[in-house]
Amino acid sequence: MKYRIVSPRVGTPGEIYEPEVWVNIGVLLSGGFIVPAEDVPQEDDKPAKTKGKTKPLSEEN
Amino acid sequence: MASATYLSNPKVTINSVDLQDMCSAATLNVVFEALEDTAFGSTQRTYVSGLGNHELTLTLYMSYAASETYATLSTLVGTQTTVRVQPTSAVDSATNPGFILTGTYLETLPVLNASLGELSTIDITFQGGAYTVDTTNP
Repeated sequence: MKYRIVSPRVGTPGEIYEPEVWVNIGVLLSGGFIVPAEDVPQEDDKPAKTKGKTKPLSEEN
Repeated sequence: MASATYLSNPKVTINSVDLQDMCSAATLNVVFEALEDTAFGSTQRTYVSGLGNHELTLTLYMSYAASETYATLSTLVGTQTTVRVQPTSAVDSATNPGFILTGTYLETLPVLNASLGELSTIDITFQGGAYTVDTTNP
């Protein structure tokens, strides 16, 4: 499961949080420091869709 | 020539949460219990190393705001966690080692410590856990 950073105390807000094995994720979630990644739609999710649309055009050329 | 160290900017993270700007004092004692092995014929007491029993004491400004001191510690009390302290906020190196206690236990959390006209601070102590030193840049 992926998480996204909310609080600058654990990293850059908005970035994906990759916890070390020893991190107690439950504490960070309950404290609001991170959220599950799917709860926060981000702009950087969009280029993947755009990329899919442009591919057929390039194949036509 | 004598060399002294003035540490004004140590880094403190608890369960990966950076509380540097809330911390005003930190003391990490690396302790190995002394087991006496003095025997007949000895002329002085001697000891060997027993179990590690390390301890980190922090003084933190208390704040109940989101992502601050209380939010970080309230669900850690009574559990094991990992804490890390470093002389400065620069990357790990031989001259800026990261001191880590893994699986250390927070027994007590003063949830309120208030005096009129003063900023609220709390002292907490992490006990036990495995002690390691990280000198490599991740």
